[in-house]
Amino acid sequence: MPLFVAGLSHRNAPVELRERLAIEEDKLREVLSDLQATSVVPEVVVLSTCNRVEVYGVAEAPGEARALVFRHLCRQRGIDLSLVEDAVYTHLDGDAVRHAFRVAASLDSMMIGEPQILGQVKDAFALAQACETVGPQLHTLFSQAFSVAKRVRTETEIARHAVSVSFAAVELAKKIFAGLSGRAVLLVGAGKMSELAAKHLVEQGAFPIYVANRTWARAQDLARSLSGTPVQWEELQTALASVDIVVTSTGATEPVISHAMVARIMHGRRGRPLFFIDIAVPRDVEPGVDRLDDVYRYDIDDLKQVVDANLRERAREAQRAEALVEREVGKFLVRQGDVEVIPTIVSLRARLEEIRLAEVKRTLARLPDASPEQRAALEALSTGIVNKILHAPITKLRESSRAGVSRSVLELVHELFGLGRRT
Amino acid sequence: MHASLINIAVTGYVLATGLALAYLVQRQDLVHRLAVLATLAGWAVHSVAIIARALELGAPPLGNLPDAISVTVWVIVLVEVLIERRTGVRVLGAFVLPIVVVLSLKATTPRAVTLAPALASAWIWIHIALALIGFAAFVFNFAGALMYVLQERQLKAKRPGTFYYRLPALDTLDRLTFRTLALGFPFLTTGLVLGAMWARTAWGSAFTFDPLAFLSFLAWLIYAGTLAGRAAGGWHGRRAAYFSIAGFAMLVLTLGAGLFLPGRHGS
Repeated sequence: MPLFVAGLSHRNAPVELRERLAIEEDKLREVLSDLQATSVVPEVVVLSTCNRVEVYGVAEAPGEARALVFRHLCRQRGIDLSLVEDAVYTHLDGDAVRHAFRVAASLDSMMIGEPQILGQVKDAFALAQACETVGPQLHTLFSQAFSVAKRVRTETEIARHAVSVSFAAVELAKKIFAGLSGRAVLLVGAGKMSELAAKHLVEQGAFPIYVANRTWARAQDLARSLSGTPVQWEELQTALASVDIVVTSTGATEPVISHAMVARIMHGRRGRPLFFIDIAVPRDVEPGVDRLDDVYRYDIDDLKQVVDANLRERAREAQRAEALVEREVGKFLVRQGDVEVIPTIVSLRARLEEIRLAEVKRTLARLPDASPEQRAALEALSTGIVNKILHAPITKLRESSRAGVSRSVLELVHELFGLGRRT
Repeated sequence: MHASLINIAVTGYVLATGLALAYLVQRQDLVHRLAVLATLAGWAVHSVAIIARALELGAPPLGNLPDAISVTVWVIVLVEVLIERRTGVRVLGAFVLPIVVVLSLKATTPRAVTLAPALASAWIWIHIALALIGFAAFVFNFAGALMYVLQERQLKAKRPGTFYYRLPALDTLDRLTFRTLALGFPFLTTGLVLGAMWARTAWGSAFTFDPLAFLSFLAWLIYAGTLAGRAAGGWHGRRAAYFSIAGFAMLVLTLGAGLFLPGRHGS
């Protein structure tokens, strides 16, 4: 039975439409059981996230099935079907398989490689299973989609590199210090983004955390929320000498950390690297510190540049992921096609073998004096003829399954050889 | 027999080098697996070749420079695979294998089978073995230093490129260069001292001019300086890396001298 995907996503539908159609789990449960009652779509999974509402189904008449499902969804959400209808795309068979694989592998996501989508697809599948709307075809499709998604995640670096400024800073720190556990961090000033960066660093094991602020009370507050230690503003240079990573985001109009200051403290550090993450605008760290050995300074533009490079890296990896998906789609279709034509091949062989045995038996009954050699020759002759005849149709069947046109060929073979109705 | 085995092994190493470099650019698991496979295949054939050579000579195949280099290459390849496996630094092959190929090209050239009479002493084997273990360690020291310089440059330039993504953290690389230096230096030192002592018993003087001995002493000085700088001066990172690269350049000259210039080590 044909496989289809119908839906709308961030690619073609505006958020106003997606949010009106997006459906919560309880309501979805109702829709699924309603759908099952109709028997127009024997198998169906509905995926509803903020970026897409999609129906994965198996139906004899996909067009009819699609209309039915969206009628139900719209009724449930109280919106007019005509609003949605134009935005809905439909993919059939091979295209549907490809779409399912790409969605699960996060290749169709707004942010390619984002990790949530796979979980959402798994949830949608689990819900459909709970509602008993999953049959063998969708089961095969989704388990394969999950394994493709996993392969994409492990074999490409599609989700490897940070695409936010604060994570990019953490990644850079890791390229300097290897592990971050036990690396001391100094937070200078208190911006939202620097706090976020500090939190990411703490999550990676950075410790201890010092917080310096012109306002002592603010330093204390922030230190408390990060389980850190407040540092007096006058002690800034002392603190600088002992830490590994400095995150700055003061509102100061002049740099608060000067080249001279850093040059002084680098002497006592015996080559221990110092990494400045300067998120403030105007900048807090004098750009001149770049000239010092073992000092790494990234301001907000540098970090954005890293993010851009990471995005390009993701795009490159996405191409590899697409190729992987394409191979898997091919394999899936071949397997599925084989599954479709194998019963016919088997019954075709059985039918001809039946005829052959009957004819050999009849002939031998008329030749009671036939020697063993003659009997063997007769067997060989008849088997040879049957195999020769079978060769072309079987090859054709196999080929047609690969080309995805097996249905008409199957019908024809059944018709021609009188194999009875296909199930 | 030995020569054709060596040729097969070198072919494996050349293939592995190509794949390792391809892996550096185009990070595909399959490419890395093939690189490791080619490396191991080359190494396996190389092992047989070395055994065959030892049987042919009736002695450890260390008596002349090409043979000794062949054994060193064998050790380097083994260590390279082990380090990659242990540390997960999968790009190491791209930096070590090219050196392996260059070195092993020399190991394929035909050479004298007879051992110079002056070499007939147990001390000489120890001298050669120690010096070569030191050399093997410095190959990794060089690879680590080179990677450090490349990674540091990208981090300073703030423009992430292939090396930023593929190479390990500066800290990891710095530790690699320090450890290999700390490991290689005592071997090189003892090897050189034994060589000098043995030269005095064999030729009556420890310090007659010999190109290889002279250049290896210069390399030793560079490494000694780096080690001292690291231990006492808190040297670190880029400066130490530059010194490691310089030291290795000197070692390469040393080998070149041994292979192409006349002298006690010459062929």
